[in-house]
Amino acid sequence: MKKLMGKQRSEYFISLFLSIFASLLIGVLIMVINGKNPIVGYSALVTGSFGSTYNIATTFAKTVPLVLTGLGTAIAFRAGIFNVGGEGQLYLGGFAAAYIGITFTKLPPMIGIPLAILAGAVAGAAYGYIPAILKVKYKVDEVITTIMLNTVAALFTGYLVNHPFATTQGKMGATEIIAEQYQFSKLIKLSTLNTSIFYMAAIALIIYYLMEKTSFGYELKMTGQNSQFARYGGINDKKQMIVAMLISGGLCGMAGVFEVLGVHYRFLQNISPGYAFDGMLIALIVKNNPIGIILMSIFFGALKTGSISMENATGIPSELVLVIQSIIILFIAGEAGFKNIYKNWRLKKSSERKVGEENA
Amino acid sequence: MGDKIIELKNISKQFPGVLANDNINLEIDKGEIHAIIGENGAGKSTLMNTLYGLFEPTSGEIYIDGNKVRFLSPLDAIKHKIGMVHQHFMLVPSFTVAENIVLGIEPRKNKLFINKDEAIKITEDLSKTYGLYVDPRQKVETISVGIQQRIEILKVLHKGADILILDEPTAVLTPQETQELFSIVRNLVDNLGKTVIIITHKLQEVLQLSDRVSVMRQGKMIGTLNTKEANEQILAEMMVGREVLFDKLERKEVPHKEILKVQNIKAKDNRGLMIIKDISLNLKSGEVLGIAGIEGNGQSELIEVLTGLRSLEDGDIIVNDVSLINSTPKEIRNASIAHVPEDRLAMGLSKDASIYENILMGSQYNEEYTKIKIQLNNKKIKKRAKDLIKKFDIRTPSEDVLIGNLSGGNMQKVVIAREFSFNTEILIIAQPTRGVDIGAIEFIHEQIIEKRNQGAAILLVSADLDEIFRLSDRILTIYEGRITGEFKQGDITKKEIGLYMTGRNKSELGGGIGEEING
Repeated sequence: MKKLMGKQRSEYFISLFLSIFASLLIGVLIMVINGKNPIVGYSALVTGSFGSTYNIATTFAKTVPLVLTGLGTAIAFRAGIFNVGGEGQLYLGGFAAAYIGITFTKLPPMIGIPLAILAGAVAGAAYGYIPAILKVKYKVDEVITTIMLNTVAALFTGYLVNHPFATTQGKMGATEIIAEQYQFSKLIKLSTLNTSIFYMAAIALIIYYLMEKTSFGYELKMTGQNSQFARYGGINDKKQMIVAMLISGGLCGMAGVFEVLGVHYRFLQNISPGYAFDGMLIALIVKNNPIGIILMSIFFGALKTGSISMENATGIPSELVLVIQSIIILFIAGEAGFKNIYKNWRLKKSSERKVGEENA
Repeated sequence: MGDKIIELKNISKQFPGVLANDNINLEIDKGEIHAIIGENGAGKSTLMNTLYGLFEPTSGEIYIDGNKVRFLSPLDAIKHKIGMVHQHFMLVPSFTVAENIVLGIEPRKNKLFINKDEAIKITEDLSKTYGLYVDPRQKVETISVGIQQRIEILKVLHKGADILILDEPTAVLTPQETQELFSIVRNLVDNLGKTVIIITHKLQEVLQLSDRVSVMRQGKMIGTLNTKEANEQILAEMMVGREVLFDKLERKEVPHKEILKVQNIKAKDNRGLMIIKDISLNLKSGEVLGIAGIEGNGQSELIEVLTGLRSLEDGDIIVNDVSLINSTPKEIRNASIAHVPEDRLAMGLSKDASIYENILMGSQYNEEYTKIKIQLNNKKIKKRAKDLIKKFDIRTPSEDVLIGNLSGGNMQKVVIAREFSFNTEILIIAQPTRGVDIGAIEFIHEQIIEKRNQGAAILLVSADLDEIFRLSDRILTIYEGRITGEFKQGDITKKEIGLYMTGRNKSELGGGIGEEING
């Protein structure tokens, strides 16, 4: 984003804030139509997400998978690949970590934890490699392949946790609990916030550096903007796309790892409520800016956390938050259109004024 | 002549951030051909779109036959018998000629159906009246560009226009079609009482065709001349705003050394057809070797092969005694070949990136622009961009501006600045001044000759014969993937070279391809 000129940058921020504001207004409208008091509703949402240490902790706990999948989407996007397969990569990454955690129960944490993280990253990356190679070699559209592979991964891990790796503690579609040394400690009592947030911060820093500061990041960006230009300039654009997809898959895989090691301590069927899709939306909203992804993830995390308290306190369904998220996207997508409408309106105003002066 | 048919008084048009027309006054006489010239972005098209009712002026007045008018849409302009033929044709490809001509005011059968017979009759009558032959039953998609333009003109005439505005009408025409168009326009004016306004930036055409010429620059009207009193030099100066030095490129004698050798290469195009059938050439230091040919005869593919962007089927490419076969574009760049591509937006630039990012391309791993091997040194990168912006006179407020916001000429200067700054032994330059305005053309030509004088070996491919003749020391003609002739500067005329470019010299050649033929 810092590459944009000052004017474009401030225009973008204005339209972003207007979009968020407008979608919150539409939220008001929906509440009023349903006979709810929007002030009560929104204050419940805010208290629910930031009102207490526990609530803040829960909000931040939610940001971990959002940031990782958001960065994953963004880095692939930079290279011109639309990775919609983060969800599948997350599932496989999570399962791989759980597998390490229930198999190598004797390893010390200094070795076991990095091994589990690595295994999850490799699983996610390998799963991202399939659509990447199909795109680069055979020009198969990655949007379609990644979406389909999501379903494959969800069903495959579903099979694994119900049959070969099913827990013996009741029928619940989950693996056994991972060995104790793999379990990240919780930071705030009762909340799911755990030490994985530090890992996330470190990873985000590395990805930011990679995307914004390095020659590699430059080559990635040029490949995504104009692959013919990249090739002409001596960049191996195909390699860039594959590497971007490997990193992307690795990041989404790690999002799964931290769900297992930090939150659930086992792999569950349907472990993700669509984190990767939310991450993708976040990346789209902030136009793949790494810092923007972190901030927007906190906002999304707050909406998610607060919506449940809101539903409990006021009876306003938590799905309202989904509506608000979707409307932000619509506004951002329509950004160019709105700008045009505004410009035309201004032009019309000024020409009307001129005509008015002439007639007077 | 003499009656003012159109008067524009103090017309200004403000777009957000740009004053496209600044207090313009213009008079058009009845029955004249009036040329309006200016560089890209001078405001010609804005002015004409205002006259055609597409824009409303911010201030100023329009008079037709002495009466003040106000156009809110092209319909108002058409009511006052003003018609416009746009640069990009607005025809429906799947309709016949007749259907296109009557489009919008179709003759009806039972109020519901188009009366096709009537449409054909209308077209035939128009065709006869104006001496513009077209086949009413032919589908537009099967028709050449020159004839499509004729249909556009007929369409406008059918709507009753007495004043025709032609926007860059020759941009898409071959020299032959251009001459046909000119005789059509002459006939409309001399024998049928029409008035024609023609927008162009080709000076020779202005001098050949028009009665009067008005010059615009940066949104202002610089002046109107009788064409008889004008010449290319005067007009160019008025357009650019300073003296333009044509044909003053100083060539120094430089020692020649053979650097690039191309031996009997063959290559396929994107459809898999053999487009380069057999090309051999050599390139020496301190010379500009021009490749003249009609587009699509293998020039683009030749450049791609030389720069590693297309694979070779046969033959060899040798630079300084090293074969470059199977080298990647990166290796070829390192072997001292820089490349100004023919299509700057498709290949030469990323329009969504800033000027300095575009200038970085090719040096992103250069030690001079990195810290600790992998991190970019933005300070040094921007410093270099700033230096090049200054040296190459790139008009921009800063190096952070996105390429997409620059004019065509300035974009091209960015490409040239980057490629020339590598200081390679070999420069491959394709269409260096396509879509670039006169001031920038002059500058780019000077830069190319300066490189030559410094000892670079330059391969120049251009569809513009004037450019080839102005810059080259040696000229090769290319036709259907073969070299059909080789000439020294000054040994051949443009007319003669046309024969070699169209393969019509074949009998004279006797099949001896690649032989030296001196005019």
